Amino acid sequence: MRSTKVIVCIGCGGVGKTTVSAALGYALASKGFKVLVLTIDPSQRLASTLGIEGKKNITQVLNFEGKGQLFASVIDHALVFENFIKRASGHGVDVEPILKNRLYQQMSTNLSGSQEFTALEMLYSSYESNDFDWIILDTPPAKHAIDFLNAPQKLAALFNESLAKWIKIDDQKSSWFSQLLATSTRQIIQILETLTGSEFVKELRQFFTYVNDWQKKLEDRIIQAHALLVGPQTKFFLITGLDHAKLSEAKELGSLIDRQGYRLENVIINRAYPEKDIKINEISTIKNEDFNLEYYNQWKNRYVEWTNQRSNLLHKYTDQWKPNFEVIALKDYFHTISDKESLKLIASEVLEKIKLE
Amino acid sequence: MQKIIFVTGKGGVGKSTYAAHLAYKYSKSGRKTLLVELGDESYFNKFLNITKVSYQPETTLFGFDLSIWTGRDCLKEYALQLLRSESLYNLFFENKLSRSLINIAPGLAELAILGKITSGPRRHGPSARHDVIIIDSFATGHFLALIRAPKGMMEAIKYGPMGEQSRSIIETMKNESICEYHLVCLPEELPITEVLELESAIHNELNIKSKIIVNKWWRYEKDLVNLPSDDNFFNLLKIQLDRQVWTKRTLDQSAQSWSNFPMIFTTSAEDIICKSELEMNP
Repeated sequence: MRSTKVIVCIGCGGVGKTTVSAALGYALASKGFKVLVLTIDPSQRLASTLGIEGKKNITQVLNFEGKGQLFASVIDHALVFENFIKRASGHGVDVEPILKNRLYQQMSTNLSGSQEFTALEMLYSSYESNDFDWIILDTPPAKHAIDFLNAPQKLAALFNESLAKWIKIDDQKSSWFSQLLATSTRQIIQILETLTGSEFVKELRQFFTYVNDWQKKLEDRIIQAHALLVGPQTKFFLITGLDHAKLSEAKELGSLIDRQGYRLENVIINRAYPEKDIKINEISTIKNEDFNLEYYNQWKNRYVEWTNQRSNLLHKYTDQWKPNFEVIALKDYFHTISDKESLKLIASEVLEKIKLE
Repeated sequence: MQKIIFVTGKGGVGKSTYAAHLAYKYSKSGRKTLLVELGDESYFNKFLNITKVSYQPETTLFGFDLSIWTGRDCLKEYALQLLRSESLYNLFFENKLSRSLINIAPGLAELAILGKITSGPRRHGPSARHDVIIIDSFATGHFLALIRAPKGMMEAIKYGPMGEQSRSIIETMKNESICEYHLVCLPEELPITEVLELESAIHNELNIKSKIIVNKWWRYEKDLVNLPSDDNFFNLLKIQLDRQVWTKRTLDQSAQSWSNFPMIFTTSAEDIICKSELEMNP
């Protein structure tokens, strides 16, 4: 019986979560494990490197040269949600009307928490399959790193008792039924009608009628996934960038995540320092007269000064964090990271700097 | 007439920094300026070291006013205007059911936000106190959902007051003399490809042309001769400038209006916001 381990990569948009997740997967697979990387929004190039471009299912990365096996998948949000609805609605239930419902379409794509839910759903079903030694989960881009953890509960909180009562009341039945609705509920529906009109409220009610069929399953799934997230087999890696705002947010997140029972093991500061060492005044004379050396050196000096400022900033924060969790600084590579060679570079950096077991 | 500037782009490209700089620039030129964050939690409180950012505008040390508008707050204000009853208002917003409804009614929060943003030119609600409003909007996907909300809601809320307002909201957003759309990106292949797609999507929706802003542009103004060099900085610089050459060529060919925002080598947010765009030194 395999015991699957999970790494969840959280962090705000634009820090390089997807790339680092892929590199982590690569690193673990090269140690001989069978690894699955679940990505949210890989660039076309990265998807092509992993061999998952245009594919909807979990696919083996074929040009992987290491000892183990690497698998990857893009989380197709709409598809995962739809499949979940189909399963949750049960056999013989026609889900077409739900999927075509305008409000469902908006909900499944834009509703806060829905993307996080499908990421969790995919994580959970991959975990249940017991097919992998490691699963790396890339999370949806968010404004704040904590969003991933709060979102599913937000989604579950949408469905509550009053709603269930509301939709059970048939408009045409007698006022005896409407007495089952609390006065406040009735008033709220009336206010909503004032704000949005009766057509909208009717549609909303119809929508909740559909939702009622599977909302319990959605709640259950969120609870199961939550249990997985706080379990001993799951570690969180926070991926962040090197600037004041991000680092102070990371600091807060650290204590918050701890209190909620999640295991934050590593803070990875991506693109923290230049790939190759840059020192002041290496070139002092150039024979080419078209080259303005003084201007060039001004730029280089400014760049080095900046690198030093960043390094100080990094140490200031990491010294505060050290006892609580590991802080890892990754290089800022000069070239764009998207092909196999560059992914291998980061993977070896990861293996060197992160204790993965 | 009030000017409204929406700033968007993929996460992490520097939207908020650019938006703050714009606000500073307008404020310095003498226009009463408001910088608005959209979202449930403030980013500017950390970024600009401000204790509290709230729904009501507060003047910052930079000179511009700052506030954060959540969907819930915008809806609350709208509801209060419409219901005109404090107790009904409280009932609606303190109740768990209504919170569910607000969250789940897709487009409702987005519509309320756009309603508030465009209230000045539409002369709806309290009169406009600012000459310029800069909206530090959501990232790409959510931004598109935001601007698509009025049309979507117009169908669903044909007869309610919000439905009627959707029409005037759309009109305002399509009005070039009032609204501008600034799309922030970086001088790299993937971000440029994405920003051109975003430009196209916005154009499809609103029939309006956006301005593309390429952030972190190294304004190295001299020729970089092809020297064989082991100097690592030289290699880095060459790669960066090559990317920028590619970016310039691609954007010029696309015939979209674009400009660059300079890379400034500092860890201080304030420096970036306040340094002039004409600043030559990195």
